[in-house]
Amino acid sequence: MNTTTTDQDKATGIKVVTGNAAAAIAAKLARPDVVAAYPITPQTEVIEKISQFHASGEMDCELITVEGENSAMNSVMAASLAGGRVFTASSSWGLVFMYDAVLAVAGARAPVVMVNVNRETPGIIAVSSGQQDMISTRDSGWIFLVAETCQEVLDLVLQAYRLAEDHDIQLPVMVHYDGFYLSYLSEGVQIPSQEEADKFLSVLETQPKRTVLHPGEKLGVGSHGILGGYLELRHKHLAAMERSKAKFDSIDREFAEQFGRSWGGQLELYRTEDADVVLVGSGSMCGTIKTVIDEYRDSGIKVGLVKIRMYRPFPSEAMVEALQGLKAAGVVDRSLAFGFKGGPIYLELKAFETRMNGTRLLSFIDGIANTDITKTNVAQMIDQTIDLAEGKQVPEVTWVSYPQANDPEDA
Amino acid sequence: MPKNQYFNHEGPWSDATGPLMCTDTGDWRTKRPVVDAERCIFCGFCAIYCPIQVVQMKGESHFEADLGFCKGCGICAQECPKNAISMVSEEEFQS
Amino acid sequence: METQKKKKVKPSKVLDYLKHDDPFSKGVAFCPGCGLELLLRFIPQVLGNDIVITGTPSCSAPVLLGQNKQSWHTLSYFGTLMTGAAANATGLVRYYRKAGIDNTVVCFNGDGTAADIGFGNLSGAAERNEPFIYICYDNEGYMNTGVQKSGTTPFGATTTTTPYGAVSKGKNLRRMNLALKMAMHKIPYTATATLSNLADLAKKLLKAKEAKERGFAFLHVFAPCPTGWGADPAHTIEICRRAVKTNYFPLWEAENGKIRMTQTVKKPKPVKNYTELIKKFSRLTDEDHEVLQDDVDYEYCILGGLSVLESECRLPEEAPTHEAKGESR
Repeated sequence: MNTTTTDQDKATGIKVVTGNAAAAIAAKLARPDVVAAYPITPQTEVIEKISQFHASGEMDCELITVEGENSAMNSVMAASLAGGRVFTASSSWGLVFMYDAVLAVAGARAPVVMVNVNRETPGIIAVSSGQQDMISTRDSGWIFLVAETCQEVLDLVLQAYRLAEDHDIQLPVMVHYDGFYLSYLSEGVQIPSQEEADKFLSVLETQPKRTVLHPGEKLGVGSHGILGGYLELRHKHLAAMERSKAKFDSIDREFAEQFGRSWGGQLELYRTEDADVVLVGSGSMCGTIKTVIDEYRDSGIKVGLVKIRMYRPFPSEAMVEALQGLKAAGVVDRSLAFGFKGGPIYLELKAFETRMNGTRLLSFIDGIANTDITKTNVAQMIDQTIDLAEGKQVPEVTWVSYPQANDPEDA
Repeated sequence: MPKNQYFNHEGPWSDATGPLMCTDTGDWRTKRPVVDAERCIFCGFCAIYCPIQVVQMKGESHFEADLGFCKGCGICAQECPKNAISMVSEEEFQS
Repeated sequence: METQKKKKVKPSKVLDYLKHDDPFSKGVAFCPGCGLELLLRFIPQVLGNDIVITGTPSCSAPVLLGQNKQSWHTLSYFGTLMTGAAANATGLVRYYRKAGIDNTVVCFNGDGTAADIGFGNLSGAAERNEPFIYICYDNEGYMNTGVQKSGTTPFGATTTTTPYGAVSKGKNLRRMNLALKMAMHKIPYTATATLSNLADLAKKLLKAKEAKERGFAFLHVFAPCPTGWGADPAHTIEICRRAVKTNYFPLWEAENGKIRMTQTVKKPKPVKNYTELIKKFSRLTDEDHEVLQDDVDYEYCILGGLSVLESECRLPEEAPTHEAKGESR
């Protein structure tokens, strides 16, 4: 890998940085008022970088070196409701340890932005990548965005502030990226100047001010929702989640206008225009999938990729539009849904199957606990999806890296 | 956007710009404090120790609880150094 | 007439400390004789109505936190979880500092939050010397959920999770000394206080407000619950008084960890003088009382020892603090 920076790169603002560094740099560019820091592998580098920025004076924020993730989320929640822009970062067990506060933040409509570096969470100790932490917290009422590359990590964090703090939205946003695969991967990342970042975020200053908690004002947050009041707030929350889909698309377009990079909003569609079959994936696996798709396309096979960028709210409409009329789609999950054999994202898509005009769905489970989703694995997934499209008998669920699981006798 | 009916804001905010919520806690009372103004020496112990802070100075004469809210706990009677307050059953005041 | 000549005394000096309005609605749903209610109404009358108060699920929450869009009081409040109360207060004060907003944040919690489920972040906030006032109102258990044992429930007390039975007779463990633990964080100010000594409480609140300019201030306020303890509501203040006079709940303060007794009891009464007013101790035998008495004496001895450290060890006038190094955050 080329890890040197050329003069041309310097001129265009490209630096070779890790996914974690990209997240920290993006946070710095957003100028948060309060950052809470607690380490956990593979996130630690994010808060180390921010601590360095703080120590050197590059970042003028209140840095709270908390005694645990639960306090990280609780402190940024309060700082956000008091009126501040906030940032924190976590991963797997850390996300779980802050989960009560994660729920509280969402219900209080605090526009907290954080990154979660995806890692496994079961009692089987595994310091390795997987999306089970994201799946386990998906119904928390947060907006979930998922990045594929280090560049996308940086871009998504900046976009996350626009989305979270938008007056029409006012919801917390979590940017997910794969631990190990992205957290420690060094890539060339175009880093905007502070002026450019300020300009992108300045739209927020033109909006009406959200309600904040200041001393001496006869106002409080954390009121009981009694009967209809509770329902009203839940409904408002749900409505804001729905609005966030189109809002995210428009933020992506504005980002593209300013920075020349568009990622497609809720979904990125890769070579799907005339595709017969597609894979549906998210996160770092998409790079490998795109490479394999290019190879298949070279031999005339019409296959594409639907990449999930916004996972909560679930991009239902965009997904139906992308998948309808295809012959088949294979959904790649890096996590499990206990109680079901299929992967969680596969199960969610099943809910829309009847709207897809005959597109058939397959579930692939792979990439759990750092098992690499290799080109061979991707080819297998595409082949099986094509088999289904051609009417062949194919198992509904396939554990790609653990064939033993596919033995019907074993089920 | 959904309408505001129970909340004025997007989130769980309440405010005190309008009237405060209030419960008729005086209804709970089974005994009421009756002050013997003769004995009152204006030390104010009944006022400072009253958990609901509803014991007020009554003119130049003595201290008296706001019976609209007094729950009849009896702390004022207990703490009065001159035994000027006695707790009398509410039944005695029903006519 | 006689009434015009009757003897008047100077009204209680406590009244002089009540410089601000009571921001609470007159009719709020606390039980008759509730120590918590007196404390809650007392704090803003002393500290002012511009405090930001945080509240957690407890008996205080139904009053501190609103219902839909309406409130029970005019204070700014933040409703939070028991797990993260001190972290929430941290977030508030850090943002206010960043934004240059003057503030007095009072993180108001029961012993369940302070001594049990929220102790980790209480200790963390103290270690970081966060600039706010943390007040623990100690009613020795989870009264709101129906009287369960907490870390500050004393030996011998019956609760619904330490009931009296053939095998187990109430709580068979000692209570934790929360205030002493907090003082050992060497924070700018720690104090114990109770409702019988309101002038002392008012002074300590004002000291805490002044100390939070330098960092963390912790107040441990003994606040009986007549309903949960099985006591006559009229006895709430008397129970506090006896807790002090038996050394069951000594009154002291500590600046930067240097402990000073604020009230010394010349001839402490036996602890039975305190327990006899409370039904949760009604099953204590004489032997049990000895155990409780030993515990009270032991705790007091440690405290007394620490309070004379200054003369014994020649502690410097000012304890070393981060401020001495000129660090602002």
